[in-house]
Amino acid sequence: MKKILFYLFATLLVVVWLMPFVISAFTSLKSMDELMLERKWWSPPKEIRLENYSTAWNNANMGRYFLNTFIITIPSVLGTLFLSSLGAFALAWYDFKFSKVVLMVFVGGMLIPFQMLLIPVYRLSISMGVYDSYLGVILFHVAFQLGFCTFFLRNFMKTIPASIFDAAMIDGAGHFMIYRRIVLPLVIPAMAALGILEFTWIWNDYLWALILIQSDRFKPVTLGLVNLQGQWITSWNVMASGSIIAAVVPLVVFLLFQRYFIEGLTVGSVKG
Amino acid sequence: MRKIILAMLLVSMALVAMGAQKLVINSYMSDPEPKRVFDELVGQFRELYPDYDVTVNTFSHEDFKVLLRTWLTASNPPDVVTWFAGERMRYFASRDLLEPIGDIFENGFEADFPKAFASASSYGDKIYFVPQSWYWWGVYYRKSTFEKLGISVPVTWKQFLDVCETLKSNGIIPITIGTKYLWTAAGVFDYFNMRVNGIEYALKLTNGEIPYTDEGMKNVFAYWRQLVDKKYFLDNATSYTWQEAANFLFTGEAAMYLMGQFIKDVAPESVKEDLDFFRFPVIDGNIGLYEDTPIDGFMMPANARNKEAGKTFLKFIASTEAQAYFASELGRLAANKHVPAPDAHAQKGLDMILASDGVMQFYDRDTDPEMANAGMNGFVEFMTFPNRIETILRNLEAERNRIYK
Amino acid sequence: MKGKKWVPWAFLALPLTMYSIWVIYPVGRTLFLSFTNWDGVSRTMRFVGLENFKELFNDPYFITSLVNNFKWLIGFALICVPAGLGVALLLDQKFRGNKVYKTLIYLPMTLSFVVIGQIWSWILEPRSGALNSFLALFGIKGISWLSDPSIVTYSLIMAASWRQISYAMVLYLAGLKGVPQELVEAATVDGAGSWKRFWNVVLPMLRPATVVAVTVSIIDSLRAFDIVYVLTRGGPFYSSSVMANYMYIKAFNNYRMGYGSSIATIQFLITLGFIVFYMRNVLKREAERE
Repeated sequence: MKKILFYLFATLLVVVWLMPFVISAFTSLKSMDELMLERKWWSPPKEIRLENYSTAWNNANMGRYFLNTFIITIPSVLGTLFLSSLGAFALAWYDFKFSKVVLMVFVGGMLIPFQMLLIPVYRLSISMGVYDSYLGVILFHVAFQLGFCTFFLRNFMKTIPASIFDAAMIDGAGHFMIYRRIVLPLVIPAMAALGILEFTWIWNDYLWALILIQSDRFKPVTLGLVNLQGQWITSWNVMASGSIIAAVVPLVVFLLFQRYFIEGLTVGSVKG
Repeated sequence: MRKIILAMLLVSMALVAMGAQKLVINSYMSDPEPKRVFDELVGQFRELYPDYDVTVNTFSHEDFKVLLRTWLTASNPPDVVTWFAGERMRYFASRDLLEPIGDIFENGFEADFPKAFASASSYGDKIYFVPQSWYWWGVYYRKSTFEKLGISVPVTWKQFLDVCETLKSNGIIPITIGTKYLWTAAGVFDYFNMRVNGIEYALKLTNGEIPYTDEGMKNVFAYWRQLVDKKYFLDNATSYTWQEAANFLFTGEAAMYLMGQFIKDVAPESVKEDLDFFRFPVIDGNIGLYEDTPIDGFMMPANARNKEAGKTFLKFIASTEAQAYFASELGRLAANKHVPAPDAHAQKGLDMILASDGVMQFYDRDTDPEMANAGMNGFVEFMTFPNRIETILRNLEAERNRIYK
Repeated sequence: MKGKKWVPWAFLALPLTMYSIWVIYPVGRTLFLSFTNWDGVSRTMRFVGLENFKELFNDPYFITSLVNNFKWLIGFALICVPAGLGVALLLDQKFRGNKVYKTLIYLPMTLSFVVIGQIWSWILEPRSGALNSFLALFGIKGISWLSDPSIVTYSLIMAASWRQISYAMVLYLAGLKGVPQELVEAATVDGAGSWKRFWNVVLPMLRPATVVAVTVSIIDSLRAFDIVYVLTRGGPFYSSSVMANYMYIKAFNNYRMGYGSSIATIQFLITLGFIVFYMRNVLKREAERE
């Protein structure tokens, strides 16, 4: 009986939760005329216009933008995960004089609204010679995400009992070995969650790509989509279909990595 | 990582070595039709000048406005950018961020362009802006609705009020408007201001020379208030963008929209032919007929690296042929005065302007940007809470004093 | 934990360096700019000391923005975080298809803010938006979600919560991995003692996730921008404005980068205050447990 209740409640929740998504899907299948003339956004399309999807792909040059987004996102996520795990390890395990200050520095960088950093970062990328390139955006994302990722991972690493670390040190393991062989595997659920969040965040980033990229050949999907917003008119249907195509990738990433949340891999074995 | 940097260095060196003169154009024409036509124009330019290596980067309108500021101060900005005439351009010119390009006009600006556009394209006595196209504003309306209710096009204020009343009593929203992004309200303000006070007053206001608490200003809002009090405007106008509000016009739920000519670009096919416009009604017969005619065009950053290439392009884009192509493909009015209006609708607009006594750019294109923002917020607040007008005007006056001190 | 002193610094060298160049330096520059009158484009600027700050605190729109941010803070920290926890608990039960459910609840995070904003503006549209049409079935008349200055902020928080709750859920799903399944099940059963069990046993085990969720909520609420900018631009006439939105308009639309930077500085200091206070608590408790 309890199972049925849960099932019902969860279903209701999901249905309500997905309404905006459903609206987006409906919009992506409507013609512009239908959108303008019938203002019932939540009703299914009168005629299904699958060509919105091909229009989004072709006119908005989605193929190229998709590739660019992959080129930008994957190294950024890997880079930031790796570097932040290094920093988190140092902050979680070592009692050194400035550890709290360094932690606050990482946290502090997250507090400022991004918009204010636009101009300094733009100038910086020009003076470093990485403006309008993949490298510039990747470097920026890796650096910028370090704040949140280091903070996040440090927190999870703190839950690992000290006894493991001490035991390994007694066994004579080197510091880097401990990091690699012992601590990292234990925080895989956290890294997976973080990886998913970071992937989604960087995949959907638009502001920094806007500032750091000028040429069309480097633009990621988010910029391509916004170009569907004209000076006067916005092709909402094509934009919706483009957004859905773009949303597929973070979703697939989630599906691929969610088993680290959902199936048996736990930190629990340590706590045993 | 090092290999990538090395590769990039080699590629850029190769490009430099190839010796082609580069030309970078950044544009905000992201709508599909204008983008296509502009790309075609650039293609024509490439054929005429094959030695130039031309790149066009397109951005969405809002993004462009933000980015332009970063480009103008960079050491390697684009060579040519799209922009608006008027104060928006002068803001940059006055800070030495633009290159004077008067020399591209062999016989002078006024040989090919209307005198009325000269001041909007210059700062001081130098020309910084090449106009490409412009459009008019008018009260767009549904012909079929008017016909059905036996309404004839109003000319005077009193007639206009009668039309609104007739529409409202028949369950139709007289005037639709979407003020989410503010500028639509500025359009309404401009027209009341020009009809009640005339163009010199309006220009002085945008120059910061007239107090917002002035009697003339109060009169503007007194007339506007007649529409607000009788609820002739769309409810919840602040929830809608201009385009969303236009929907009401297209579905027939509303009958009129004070808007620029581009509304036809957005209208569904079934509705396009049913849309026509009339001049904003005359309020004071002693005051001349003035209209808003925002002008779009191009300018060159002062730091541009390829000025010669840029000027060649500007000359091309100012030519009668290029302007005629752009105008006819898009149904716009070309700034170049030798180009005829592309269709009957445009001709009507052109005639209306030619029969006017003067033109303005637009409140927010002609005023200091911060003042414009405060003013437009004030107009929108007035439309929701007309009783607050005294306070609103006082606050705007305080802003004006602070900004123009 | 012991060992040579330079070891932690070796680990920190690369991340900290990159962070300093790309983040700390720009932040520092912004703080500096708040003492100038730079307009964002001119080649010159003037140092104006505390003038911007003086103007700020007399600026009614800034005060409104500040107050709105606190409303966001309450919404995110006190509603979204517990709701995210609740959803995570609900979906972590063993029932068929719970993987699918978890995936579906994650979906809001995959959309960009521009799209989320547009969809919600349709949902909240006064005449025929989804929400008002739904309420009309119960005889409730059309509410002006985005036009009524007295409720617009709450509408925006509601729209933002859609995504924020999904975010919190993801964090808690990761955290729940460290909690044995039986404990979770026992705590969510109706009955005496289950609430206590939950509060005293399960919740503390979720601490890492909670710390992150609360911190993120504090930061995101005080830094809120996208939803506000896309749905209302802070309108109608700044009634829904938040600090980041006001700062953006001042800096980029009104050509007052110096003034905008001072708003960013204030917002930074406020957020820092909250975070320091919260983190001190967290760090203290960590030390106690060790």
